[in-house]
Amino acid sequence: MDNLEEAIMPDHVFSFLPGSLHRIAAGLPREILETLQEIRIRESRPLEIVYDHDHAFVDAGGKISDNPAAAYRPSHQECLQLLDLLTDHSLYTFEEELKRGFITVRGGHRVGLCGRVVLDKGEIKQIKDVTGFNIRLAREMIGAGRSVLPYLIDFEAQTVRHTLLISPPLWGKTTVIRDLARMISTGEWPHQLAWKGKKVGIIDERSELAACVKGVPTFHVGPRTDVMDHCPKAEGMMMMIRSMSPDVLVVDEIGRPEDAAAIREALRAGIKVLATAHGAGLEDIRSRPMLRELIEEGIFERYVVLPGRKGTGRPLQVFDGSGFLQVKTPFDSHVKKV
Amino acid sequence: MLKLMGAALVLFAGAMAGFYQSWRLASRPRQIRGLIHALQVLETEIVYALTPLPEALRKLGRKTAAPVSGLFGQIGDRLEQEQGITLQEVWEFTALDYWKQTAMKETEREIVRQLGRTLGISDREDQVKHLHLAIRELQREEMTAIDEQKRYEKMWKSLGILAGVLIVIMMY
Repeated sequence: MDNLEEAIMPDHVFSFLPGSLHRIAAGLPREILETLQEIRIRESRPLEIVYDHDHAFVDAGGKISDNPAAAYRPSHQECLQLLDLLTDHSLYTFEEELKRGFITVRGGHRVGLCGRVVLDKGEIKQIKDVTGFNIRLAREMIGAGRSVLPYLIDFEAQTVRHTLLISPPLWGKTTVIRDLARMISTGEWPHQLAWKGKKVGIIDERSELAACVKGVPTFHVGPRTDVMDHCPKAEGMMMMIRSMSPDVLVVDEIGRPEDAAAIREALRAGIKVLATAHGAGLEDIRSRPMLRELIEEGIFERYVVLPGRKGTGRPLQVFDGSGFLQVKTPFDSHVKKV
Repeated sequence: MLKLMGAALVLFAGAMAGFYQSWRLASRPRQIRGLIHALQVLETEIVYALTPLPEALRKLGRKTAAPVSGLFGQIGDRLEQEQGITLQEVWEFTALDYWKQTAMKETEREIVRQLGRTLGISDREDQVKHLHLAIRELQREEMTAIDEQKRYEKMWKSLGILAGVLIVIMMY
């Protein structure tokens, strides 16, 4: 279904790794580098990678195996260096993120952190002694949204429908919604009609969608796209609605009550919303209070459950606003490996 | 005639050596003050502007007076250009290298080195504490430096000339 896809090699990710880890990561076999999803670094414990929905331990020479005993064990010093490099030598600029347990680094890669949590009056203040890192590689895949967009078109209104993209973590929600934003903004419609691109507003709370560096997107998000970087979703949506007059709002991972209020506000302003949510399927989503409310109100016109990768046998499913299955494609990979 | 020229040269050299020593004594408090000022600017950048360190240090390089400006400018530039290198490494190396170009002493360098080990690796509150500590210690050094300047500045000047005179006398 999609033919043109670009998998970008995660070379620049490795610039965040201190010397020894850098060499190990760069020494990984090429086919693994291409499908690399996570690098998991735990102090004094085996170095692990997740690739193509499989996992393995890595030894000092960059060879992978299932045997943790042979794996490389990052030292305390390396973990300190890694934190220094990940935070651009400035941990204090990541205080808010540290409270939430992850930071987003240049290139849109999200790094989950574990360690000792410091509390202040019962609230999480920060993570000290960070000893666990999960570097999740953000990949830009031009064309990842091509298989989804045809189901979202509203021909009458000449725009897209309110849509919720659903999939478990690591299945490419962010990749797909980013590409949808790019296509809608560029005017890359799946039909031959002469529609122009729409004004797209991205609220990028975790800097994953556009991977902004100093406010300028580094991923392709389209020429008519405005990005509110690092901004809480609900507030960001309201700000966009008030000031940037978007046709389509794009938000990643909604789930809090205030997000629902902002989505309703967007609706009233006639703005289309593309959002994503964690979940195994529509039923799963229904069990979450805030999302169930939105579903019951019939706010979304399309629910798209993203397919799994090759071999998982999960099809792409599209439901309409009332939850009826519209499409179930037999193909089992929306993001093909290159 | 030749002897006379030699004597003049010796006298001149002695005077210059004396003047250089007294210049160093006079420069030290000024440079420490410059350093304190720079750290205060850095504090503002960290606490209020939340500027990442590489950028903040480069800004310091432009905003402050030499020789302190060069130190921070160099560290900032290296952090921005070289990948995979930690702040602590760059800081240590550059401070070590750069100190020869200043009139400041080992004690000040040690304070700056210590600061380098804590910079950028903790939250704002903690950063401020370390910066304040460094500033306080530098202020103390400034006092000693001023004291030494008062006591020895004139002495070095006359000592230089007098040593020159002594050698000339011994030559004759």
